[in-house]
Amino acid sequence: MSATPQQPKYKLTDQVDFLIVGCGASGSVLARELSRNGFTVVALEQGPWLDRSQFTHDEYRVQAQSLLTNNPQKQPMTFRKTPQDKAVKQPALMYGRLVGGGTVHFTANYWRFHEIDFIEASQKGTIAGTGFTDWPITYADLEPYYTKAEWDLGVSGQAGVSPFDPPRSKPYPLPPMPVKSSGVLFEQGARKLGYHPFPAPVAVISQAYQGRLPCAHCGFCMGFGCEMGAKSSPLPSMIPQAVATGRCEIRPHSYVRKIELDAKGRAIGAIYFDHSGKENLQHAKAVIVASNGAETPRLLLQSKSNRFPNGLANSSGIVGKYLMFNTDTIAQGTFEHELNEYKSIEVTRIVQDFYEVDPKLGFYGGGGLSARFLWEPISFALAGISPDTPQWGSEYKKALQKNFNRTMMVMGHGLSLPLADNSISLDETLKDAWGLPAIRVTYKDHPDDLKFAQYQLDRGMEILEAAGAQTHWAFPVTENTNAVHLLGTCRMGNDPKTSVINADHRTHDVANLFLCDGSSFVTSGRGQPTETIQALAFRASDRITALAKKGEI
Amino acid sequence: MDNTRRTFLAQAAASLGLLYLSGLTPEVLAQAHQHAKTAPRNLDGQPFRFFTAQQAADYEAFASQIIPTDETPGAKEANVVRFVDFALSEIEPQNKQDFANALKALDEQAKKTAPQTASFAALTSEQQVETMKAIEKSNDFGTLKYYTLVGFLGDPADGGNKDEIGWKLIGFEDKYYYAPPFGYYDAQAAKEKA
Repeated sequence: MSATPQQPKYKLTDQVDFLIVGCGASGSVLARELSRNGFTVVALEQGPWLDRSQFTHDEYRVQAQSLLTNNPQKQPMTFRKTPQDKAVKQPALMYGRLVGGGTVHFTANYWRFHEIDFIEASQKGTIAGTGFTDWPITYADLEPYYTKAEWDLGVSGQAGVSPFDPPRSKPYPLPPMPVKSSGVLFEQGARKLGYHPFPAPVAVISQAYQGRLPCAHCGFCMGFGCEMGAKSSPLPSMIPQAVATGRCEIRPHSYVRKIELDAKGRAIGAIYFDHSGKENLQHAKAVIVASNGAETPRLLLQSKSNRFPNGLANSSGIVGKYLMFNTDTIAQGTFEHELNEYKSIEVTRIVQDFYEVDPKLGFYGGGGLSARFLWEPISFALAGISPDTPQWGSEYKKALQKNFNRTMMVMGHGLSLPLADNSISLDETLKDAWGLPAIRVTYKDHPDDLKFAQYQLDRGMEILEAAGAQTHWAFPVTENTNAVHLLGTCRMGNDPKTSVINADHRTHDVANLFLCDGSSFVTSGRGQPTETIQALAFRASDRITALAKKGEI
Repeated sequence: MDNTRRTFLAQAAASLGLLYLSGLTPEVLAQAHQHAKTAPRNLDGQPFRFFTAQQAADYEAFASQIIPTDETPGAKEANVVRFVDFALSEIEPQNKQDFANALKALDEQAKKTAPQTASFAALTSEQQVETMKAIEKSNDFGTLKYYTLVGFLGDPADGGNKDEIGWKLIGFEDKYYYAPPFGYYDAQAAKEKA
């Protein structure tokens, strides 16, 4: 069964106003906004269109069958640390592959960027060997759209309690989620150390909202689709609202291989494989690529032509470059009494005291910490037991028995500096199931990113200790070789030589081609990019609407 | 996924608007989910589709060293071997070869431990442990261990974790609705606040 609500069915030859490639965090927002603004829209999604009755708590199947994400069998990738290394086949990236995208299975952490994130380079100084630079927009430009994202999607949180919170025009629409034991312990530990913990903003509704029922605390957020529809993915909000306009067609199982141009160099639509593997060309007046920070540059690089021999909209040569992952660290502790962290959402308390760290430490960095429990039963058994404990046998079994309900973690989320060598490119030696070149990932963390990660990990360990953990340990900081946050590969900027899109998300090279997703980022932020991806999409919708109404597309 | 659950939930979702007006709460919807939860898959007595009898015996011995049967039931009682046979036949057939190779590596290591042994299963428990320790850092060991844990702690709908033996051990319940307090410390905090 697939969700097939009433929606228009456009012909391939219909020149719709906008063709959107990718129906995830940003594409869904663009589809709703543009169709509400009176435009006709076709949104292509490579994955299926599931409804929440098709989601499951089956931890093994969700992972083994890639029910919600890209499938490493059908879409193999290669990875190397530097351009000098030989790339090796391995599943380096994971992203949402269904209508709703990664927001269907994400943890639902929903952090705004702060003012500093847009102006770091000019405020803190550039960093040699990096592409560290300011955004062409500021926090003030994006603030109304952060607010819109929070209110239109449904976000729970408490404004005004963190001294580091950026200015906001409205509070959160919903009160924070109930605190869990991990949140209580984290708050106690953090306060002892002089930090400022506050309720985590999350894209989960704590009360009934816009006809949707609140969270039932089932505990299956990260990695799973929400069977209650309480996680504020676009799936229960933007998508039905886009379809309800009568002007938007969502077309799942549509795998785009090329953006097609006319003789004048304008985009005329996109060629895609449908569910049966047949190639189609959907015509449109303008194309918006919102396929994520890996698939968007990949599609541009694949869309070569005589006019664009290095890939579409790539006159700068930087399409695919400046890939940023964010760093993650995990400190874990066990406590005397039961926490039962498998219940409810993952994160209920965070601190942002390390959003900007003292340059005297000798490295650049910034981030945030969250009280968290990442595990379900199988993953806990695989990785959740202290490395000092035997990893199989009777003692191991007793550790599983004792600790599943007594464990929590403090997770660190940090920025990644933009480096030109870190990139998405095409691997012509490996093909996907459609015969297209595989994604090749090149990535090596900047030394400062790793130093900051270690710094933040140490603070997490101290919080666990201050909270009274009986035991605590850390996963060692290592270089990233896989990621879920895919940022920066078609960066925004005013100079066509050093950026791919302008502040309106229009490519510098093709007037009716726009890009809007994690690839648009100039800097990585502090580890939770989704709200910024969606705020950009709300803003881009306004900018693109204005251009279209003036006849400037 | 079984059709009963899917159909039930689809109907529940379709009538959500109406039910919402008539006072549907998360508790009620969660009860509907719970009711429609996929039934456990019973693989008892099924003929093996992937394992030979010898492989099944070796793997049961291996899994029983990972999660032994002691004061509480272990991998054997959770039906790990039957689960793996089903999973490799139905869910991940692409991993059959890797798994078979891993069992072969276990068997070869067993013969290094005790050259005369007929199989890994035929070793004494101490010899099995010695054999496993010798390869515990290898990918082969990782593959075999992974499937034991999935069979012990996975959704009983896939045929392992029989009678929720694994979940009962670690104290996990698969419910669709919980209300705070969730644990000891948030309960304490709520009391202090009150």
